[in-house]
Amino acid sequence: MDDSKGCHLSVVIDLSPTQWHLSADAPPANVYPLPLNIFLAQLLAFLNAHIASKHENTLAVFGAFPGKSMMLYSSTDPATQDQAIDANSYLPFKLVDSTIITRIMEELDELGEPAEEVPNSLVSALTKALCYINRVTLPTPSPSSKPGDGHDLSILPDPRILVLSVSPDLSTSYIPIMNAIFSAQKLKVTIDICQVYGPDSVFLQQAAHLTGGSYIFLERRDALLQYLIMSFLSPPSIRKVLSVPTQDRIDFRAACFCHKNIVDIGFYSVNPFPSVQLVGKTKFPMKTLQRLNAARPMLSAASWAPSRSASSTPQARPAATPAPGLISATNGANAALLGGLPHSATIGSGTPRTATTNGYRA
Amino acid sequence: MASSSLRPHDATDDVPKTPIPHSLIPFLQLQSQNTLTRLYQLPSSCLSIYRLLAPLERQLVMSLLWLESAIPASMMAAWVVHEGKQLYDDALGTLSRLHILPNLAVKLALNSTFKTSFRQAITGSGTSGSFGVPAELDEKRPPLGVEGLDGYALERWETILHYMVSSGTGQNPTKPSTGVLYLLQTSGLMVSHRGAPLQITSAGFQFLLHSPHDQLWDLLLQYLHLAEQRQMDLVEVLSFLFMLSTMQLGREYSAEHLGVSQKAMLEDLRDYGLIWQRKPSSRRFSPTRLSTTLTSSSPPLPTTTGTSSGPQEGFIVLETNYRIYAYTDNPLQTAVLNLFVSLKYRFPNLVVGSITRDSVKKALNNGISAEQGGRTVIISYLVSHAHPQMRKNNPLLPVTVQDQIRLWELERNRLKSAEGYLYTSFTSQADYELVLNYAKELGVVLWESQAKRCFFGSLEGHANIRGFIERRTTGGVS
Repeated sequence: MDDSKGCHLSVVIDLSPTQWHLSADAPPANVYPLPLNIFLAQLLAFLNAHIASKHENTLAVFGAFPGKSMMLYSSTDPATQDQAIDANSYLPFKLVDSTIITRIMEELDELGEPAEEVPNSLVSALTKALCYINRVTLPTPSPSSKPGDGHDLSILPDPRILVLSVSPDLSTSYIPIMNAIFSAQKLKVTIDICQVYGPDSVFLQQAAHLTGGSYIFLERRDALLQYLIMSFLSPPSIRKVLSVPTQDRIDFRAACFCHKNIVDIGFYSVNPFPSVQLVGKTKFPMKTLQRLNAARPMLSAASWAPSRSASSTPQARPAATPAPGLISATNGANAALLGGLPHSATIGSGTPRTATTNGYRA
Repeated sequence: MASSSLRPHDATDDVPKTPIPHSLIPFLQLQSQNTLTRLYQLPSSCLSIYRLLAPLERQLVMSLLWLESAIPASMMAAWVVHEGKQLYDDALGTLSRLHILPNLAVKLALNSTFKTSFRQAITGSGTSGSFGVPAELDEKRPPLGVEGLDGYALERWETILHYMVSSGTGQNPTKPSTGVLYLLQTSGLMVSHRGAPLQITSAGFQFLLHSPHDQLWDLLLQYLHLAEQRQMDLVEVLSFLFMLSTMQLGREYSAEHLGVSQKAMLEDLRDYGLIWQRKPSSRRFSPTRLSTTLTSSSPPLPTTTGTSSGPQEGFIVLETNYRIYAYTDNPLQTAVLNLFVSLKYRFPNLVVGSITRDSVKKALNNGISAEQGGRTVIISYLVSHAHPQMRKNNPLLPVTVQDQIRLWELERNRLKSAEGYLYTSFTSQADYELVLNYAKELGVVLWESQAKRCFFGSLEGHANIRGFIERRTTGGVS
């Protein structure tokens, strides 16, 4: 329960104008309409509550706009000190509030009214938040560079990210989100998700689950602040005592790598030609695959090495494949299996041994 | 060998423990509900008190802050995991004694005054002006910069500590103001025998080894007790301290809106180094780092900013051979080390000494002995001032030295005295055993010797044992 160092919170706000416009619609479209200004007012109260909890608590806020993302506020940046002191409010609170609101207004004005809205860059904001945490948690090489900032202050215990999302899943962002999750796990960052508007987000559910965070779908949207405080204010050490809601059912579906559809069952394997199929986005000739599959059990790992470099163009047949004559009729079953799974991510087999069991005994 | 049994707090415990509350919390709990309610009218006081609370208490306050109606206690308790029950109950108890969360039994709701003010603090609304009225910018006399304030606070604070540590050593350090001397005397940190110069007490030695943050609050608590005696308005005094803690370092504030007691405090706090004023009659003041970090627990106190004395934070290297190297030229730190280290050499930036049995015993005799959280004060001082190079070690201090210091401390406690009665001259072994067993059942036997046929019982058991023996003897005769 040692919290003497304070904890870090990064907040990622989804600021997609379209979604917020929909969210503000009066009933019957929404049972509890939540316009952006009310949302921001409640969010600022939550941010102030975080800073209020501890003098040493740090905060960073990131905004995700259509096609761009940026940091809106960070407590490590030397803040503009020319802020006038108001006897009725605590200066750090005022600084947070005014900085965030000004920045959001600037950005929204700048957006103008584009004919077609580009997809929202939530992932990019999330990645920026992770980079930021990585930067501030790394011990600074020269502790004397910042007076008053002791060497142990630079190590933040329990960094957290809170994502406030209003957009539906964007299936193209599956791979970046998963990468972000892995980085978060490595940095020991907890990712909390609050789905303020829109349908349940499959990917964000997984992000929360995999990093030990909490995913909340906002049902009573008029009680946003209470949700935020009860579930997301407490650092992990407090969550051991005062439990926070976690999901009882998680949607673990993944997105198909090539078609970007969310699939129930995906097939994945180590592809012998990753450069061809994933990066080049060209179809791998089925015949070659059949032949390869047939030939594989007889090949040693070493003999595959040259074929990898030779196959950088789709037309280049794997010239080094040594036994082309081995195509046999039994491969028909294998081909049928391959053809029947349009959404399997990359087709093929991991090791020669699994190839035989999968393909031939089918 | 004995290391595992000697370090009770090293074992990680799964069951969360209630942290030691901030030293101000017990003081606040002693105040009347009326006083506290008046205090809670000010948003800045609410914010500062909130920050002094334990993490769980803070979460509970926040969870209840935005609710309009009371919620059933059972509903809140449902959030608590089983292992945290004790912690949760303790937290509720603390909040209830502070009158932040009255009537715990059925429904939970915050004190309405506290709720209103704290909401104002969070949202920045209201018109109380409790966060300090800024002074008009004066072109001719710009406010003192942050460095100047730090230097001032450091100089004031070290004057006090240095005066304490060198009392009775024949040196004549700069004397702090009379107000400070009076406070040191009434708080029992220093004592004067019949007009003789002030001498440091065992409590004073203990005080010197505390962290600056604890020292500051120790003194301020004494100041609060003193304020009560001086008929100052406690609410004004407390709220002024809280206001200072929410102020901005390097800014000037106007003293014109302060209350009577608060204006009187300006002089005292100036002596302690908490605020700076250009001249005593000035109508404006600047808080120093000492006061703006009052409610943070790991504060960048002035000593860490380093004015002249090299690396201030972490300067001690301790080796397994009990040798200690302190990279400092600060006379105060040297003097504090001298309390428990026998110093050998002194260089411009380095002091070398060693921890010996004699030097530790001398410290223990001076009263530096009380354990705090399972650590002796000496060890916690060494840990908190360890050199950055030392921080690479795990454990931080050599285990041999840590254990030896504990063993030396235990040496002092070999004798334990207790009042009681010695029962002796039993006529037969059977008689002896009969009485001894009776005494053992009562649980009053402190010592026994079968060979000498005697035992020692505590004072409170005597009446029963005597009655028992009398009954036996009369019974045996008749």
